[in-house]
This record gives sequence, structure tokens and C-alpha cells, in this order.
Amino acid sequence: MDELALLRRQLERERAARKQAEQIAEQKTREIYYINQELRQLNNHLEEMVELRTAELAKAHDEAIQASLIKSQFLANMSHELRTPLNAIIGYSEMLTEDAKTLNDPMFVDDLDKINRAGKQLLTLINDILDLSKIETGRMDVYMEPVDVSMLIQDVLVTVRPLIEQGGNTIELACEPGQLVTDVTKLRQVLINLLGNAAKFTKDGLVKLEARRETRDGTEGYAFRVEDSGIGMTPEQVERLFQPFVQADSSTTRSYGGTGLGLAISRSFCEMLGGGIGVESEHGAGSVFVCWLPQGLLPEQEELRSRMSAGSAPRQPVSILLIDDEHTTLELLRRYLASAGWTTAFAESGAEGLRLARELRPEVICLDILMPSMDGWAVLSAIKNDPELKDIPVVILSMTSDRQLGYSLGAAEIVSKPVGREQLIGIMDKYIALHDNAPVLVVEDDATTSEMMARMLHKEGYAVTRAGNGLEALERIEYQQPQLILLDLMMPKMDGFQFLRELHRREGWRDIPVIVVTAKSVTPEERLRLHGYVHEVMQKGSFDRDRLLTEIRRAHSASASEPAGPSPEEKGMH
Amino acid sequence: MKGVVFTSFIEMVEQKFSLEIADRVITGAQLPSGGSYTSVGTYDYREMLALVGQLSAATGLAEGALVRVFGEYLFRELVAMHPEFLQRNQGVFAFLEKVDSYIHVEVRKLYPDAELPRFESGYVDEATFYMEYRSSRPFADLAEGLIHGAIHYYGESIEVRREALDGEAPTAARFVLCRGRDARG
Repeated sequence: MDELALLRRQLERERAARKQAEQIAEQKTREIYYINQELRQLNNHLEEMVELRTAELAKAHDEAIQASLIKSQFLANMSHELRTPLNAIIGYSEMLTEDAKTLNDPMFVDDLDKINRAGKQLLTLINDILDLSKIETGRMDVYMEPVDVSMLIQDVLVTVRPLIEQGGNTIELACEPGQLVTDVTKLRQVLINLLGNAAKFTKDGLVKLEARRETRDGTEGYAFRVEDSGIGMTPEQVERLFQPFVQADSSTTRSYGGTGLGLAISRSFCEMLGGGIGVESEHGAGSVFVCWLPQGLLPEQEELRSRMSAGSAPRQPVSILLIDDEHTTLELLRRYLASAGWTTAFAESGAEGLRLARELRPEVICLDILMPSMDGWAVLSAIKNDPELKDIPVVILSMTSDRQLGYSLGAAEIVSKPVGREQLIGIMDKYIALHDNAPVLVVEDDATTSEMMARMLHKEGYAVTRAGNGLEALERIEYQQPQLILLDLMMPKMDGFQFLRELHRREGWRDIPVIVVTAKSVTPEERLRLHGYVHEVMQKGSFDRDRLLTEIRRAHSASASEPAGPSPEEKGMH
Repeated sequence: MKGVVFTSFIEMVEQKFSLEIADRVITGAQLPSGGSYTSVGTYDYREMLALVGQLSAATGLAEGALVRVFGEYLFRELVAMHPEFLQRNQGVFAFLEKVDSYIHVEVRKLYPDAELPRFESGYVDEATFYMEYRSSRPFADLAEGLIHGAIHYYGESIEVRREALDGEAPTAARFVLCRGRDARG
């Protein structure tokens, strides 16, 4: 009985304990529930907050993009505003340099050259910044055209050779001739940048430029290799190399100058053209940059045939006779001169040269000295002793030129090879008759630029009329039809686009060649609008007096074969 | 004091003595809780003092000795419930070192309001470890029993010397553990 009571008591205690445990469990569960509830609310609140923040971020992001667009637009406008006066500085300094040379004032020539160089340097910088902003906003356009690799390399070399040689460096060249279809302006810029860097970071060393066919991933193409024996880079420096605004390190900027934009732009260009750029470098042991571009689709090869016909159709009046035994040199010179709008004939031996000189009576003769059987000196003497030929100026283009002998034999000028395109054109320009007062209309609202162009053209023998906007230009054409129009795009009252539309409405006017000369960045859409209306678009970003003159000459000579408008009565400037 | 200490105590009395003694102890102690304990509950530590007093009276054994034995018993119970605490540690010293930093932290996760004793421990030398017990409650004996439980569990040969702190008060004690000698000297 006692035991039973004991067990009962124990059971009671156990039951009470169980109930207690259950209560505790309930209470804990409730607590957990409430805590859960709180957590859930907190979570919801957090989600709301995240949504809010996300919306804020999205807005900030949109605003940033908008701001970036505005910035790019501003940059584009700004660079236009900067380039216009800068072009005037460069243009006028070039004209004054010419004058100073004529007046034989070497001190002025030197000073003016400095102004010119500084101006061009500034222009390059502005162009780089504009390029980069275009790349960043995806507004950089690409124009594919067939490019002759040897010619391009020669061209590039003429530009960079002084830079490379300045530092006591030797330049070595290896080029596999051929063609590729690419954007030649961009490729040129890339190569000049790479070679310019090589020159900048190498002293008394070697800079090698190699262009070779190379197939990558089954695609044919060209690899352009620029190697130097300069200071080289550490792996860390290489890693940062292609980032815009970053150079090897800040001390590099201090000791070597530059903006650090060149390589970033070069890489973007190469990628845009379907290729790439790579670098290998060892600190203290030089760098190798390789830019590879795909071959691209070549158009039908008309090249050969046109070359043949140029040699075998000597009935046309010929401006320049080239005498050189080296076929590749002849070909290069011929292309340079043809690109400037001149007709050429060529001879591969001295005797043939003399024969053609008598037959064609060219305005200028370009003569090589080192030739087999009859050398250049003999040809020069023969020409100068022939009463019918002695007045034709002879320009000697040679590697070994005994200046004294040349001048005593009657050479007009002695130029050492290799000669660049612009240099050659500049020389030929001096000896080829002026442009017979061919009427040219300059349509430009900026008075300084307009006057500069007018003076430049006047010097070249063109008769210049000026108009400040499209409406004025139409009036001028009504009065006198020009053989060529130089047109700005951004003008008050009637802009360039409207003017072109008006010009094309008139039967007799629509064939007048038009060269657009603008500091504005022409968009692809605008280019499309201009297509078919204009001969050439020259952006003043790449403004260059010689280039402009070449374009003018080319456009002019293209239209000269067609019947010209009323003969010019008026000369000079207004 | 946590309910698990009470439920273990009652179980021990039932096992080592008898159901009858357990019943007598509980009834005699006149407990506010009525002696119904659940391990998830929390109870006044004075109920434990009353229970120990009753057990001592019923068995004629000294309270201190009873509490130490209970400590060893309690340790085995705790090991059965949470074996992972012990498996984590290599030996007695390593285990005791973690009591404050690990076990008490785990206890607080389940019972945020638990009032836990403080332990301070450290090595005197490589073979000698000390542990100081301080509490608001007079359970230095229980701590000693628990330490013996741990030594037993790991099967190490360790001698425990108890030193009085705060003038013999049962709320504090310093235990010095020497490895390598027979525990029962």
C-alpha cells in the first residue's frame, strides 16, 4: 500500500514535470514564432529597401550614361571648337614658313617650324582624346579599302624616320609586299604609334619594322611587328599597358612625356578591324609589339592592267617623267604622283628616259643616279645639252648624291632617297605649272580659316572666290561657276548639307567636284548623306596643307578632262 | 539552476539508494516546485541544497561527499546527452580549458538567461593544470565531482588537489590537476 502511494506520488511528480515541460515548449515555440515574425518583417523591409536602392542605382546609372553621352557630345563639340583655330595656326605657320624660305630667312623658318610642330602636337592630342571618346561611345567608324602594304610602310616610315633617328637609333625594315583590305587611316595611326613609342623608349639602339603575311586561326592576314632594343617593361607594366590614361608608370610620363592614350586607341582600332595587338617585353631588353589584321576581301585586281596602260599610252600630256632602273621604286613614285593627280611616264634605263623625254616633253623629270650602262649623271648632261630639253627641270632622287656635281650639271634639286609621298608632291608642285587660275569656291563661315584657304589656293595659282554660307555660295556660283568647291558643313543660314541638295537640283552644277573640309566629326549617318554628292571628306582633325592641296589637285584634274565651265574672269580674293 | 541537474540528482538517488529514499528526500525537502522537475526548466538552487540536506540525513553520509559523487554521476549523464563536446577534445586539460569558451557558450544558446559559474583555467607547467571555480552559488563540491567525472571519462591518471579560495567559502575553489601520478594517491 505504501509502495503504491509512493509510486503514485512519483507519477504525479512526473506528470507535473511533463506539463511543465510542455508549457515551456509552448512558450519557447511562441517566442520562436514571434521572433520569426519579426525576422520576416525585417526581411520584407530589407527587400523594400533593396528595391528602393536598386531603383536609385538604376537611376544613377542612367544618369551616368546620360552624363557620359553629354560629355562625349561636349568633347566632340569642344574639339571642333579647338581644332578650328588650331588649324588656322598650323595653316598660317606653314604658309609663313614658305614665305620665309622664299625670303631666305632661316631664323624665321626655324621659329615658324616650332609653332607648326607645337600646333600639330596639340592637334594630335586633341585627336587622340576625341578618338578615345568616340571609341568609348561606340561612334568610331571604319572605312575598309584596299591597301598596298609596301606603300603604306614607306609612307609610315617617312613620318617616323626622323623620330627614330633623333635618338641615334637605326631602323631596319622587312616587308613582304601585298595587299590587304582595311581602314588605312587607322592602321597607319597604329603603326605610327608603335614606331613612335619604340623611338621614344630606345636610345642608340635598333628599331625593326616587319610586315609579313601570317595566318591566324585559319584567317589570312598581315602581322606588323615593331621591335626595339629599348628600356623594355616589367610584367606589371605590360599588364597596365593598354589601359587608357595609364602609362608604364607615372615616372614614365615624367621622363618620356605622352598622354598614354596611344596604345589604348591602337588596341581598340586593331580589334575594330578584326585583328589584335600583342606585346612581349623584358625589362631592360626591349619590347616587341605585334599588330595582326585579317586580309579582308580584295576587289578584282585591276591594278596590273592600269599600270600597263599608264606606261603604254604616252599620247596624253605627261607632267612627270620618272627615270629609275629599280622597278619597285618606280612603281612607288608613280603611285605617289598619280595619287596627287599628275600623269606620269616612266623609263627603266637612261637611254629610254632620254627617248621618252624627247617624245613627251614632260614638265619635270625625276632622275635616279645609280643605273647600269647610262648613269644619271650622263642622262642629266644629255638633257642639259639638248636645246629642246634643257629647260625641263630635273630633280635628282638618289641615295648617293654628289650635290655639287649635280648642281653644276644643272639639276634643279637633289633629294636623297627614300622620299615620302608628301615630300615628293611638295617638290613636284614647285616645278609644275601653276593651276591656270582655275576658279575655286571656298564656302566657310570662319573668316580666319576661309582667308587661310583662299591665300593658300591663291599661292598655288587658283582663282579663289569665297562665301560665308550656303546661300552666298549659290549666289557666287550663279555669277561664276567654279571648277571646284571646298565646303564646310557647319554654317549659319544654309549649312553644307542643304547647300549640296540645292547644288544637285541644278543640271549644270551637279558635276562640280566638292571637297568637304570640316572640323566637325562626321557621323556615319552624315557620311551617308554626303555620299555621292561630294568628292572627298577631309576632316580638319587630320588637317594638312599638303594633303588638302593634293586632294584639290586630284579633284581638279579629275574634272579637268571634262569640259570646264565659263572661263574665269575673276582672280584673287574678295 | 538548470532542470537537468535536478532530474539527474533524483535519478541518482533512485538508482544508488532506492525509490523510497528518493520519495522521502523529495517530500522531506518541502520544495516549492513540489519536486516535479523537467530538464528544460530552471529551478531555485536552494531546492538542490534542501535535497542534498535531506539525502544526507536519510543516508548518514556527508553532504560534501554526496555532492562530489553526484558531480561524477552528472558528468556521465551530460556525456550521454552531448558526446560531441568530449569527442572534440583530446584529454582532460584540453576539455576543461574549453568549458567556459565552448560549453557555456553552447548552454547560453539554449538558455539565454542561465546563470553560469565562472571558470578560470591555465597551465602551471606542462603536466599541471589549474581551474578556479567561482559562483554565486555554493557548489564547489559539484565542480570537483564534475572534474573527477571528466578524468574518469578520459581514463587519465591525474591527481586533483583542491585549494580553498575566499576563506573556505563553498562558492569558490581552486583545483590543481597533476598528470602522471595516481589520482587517488
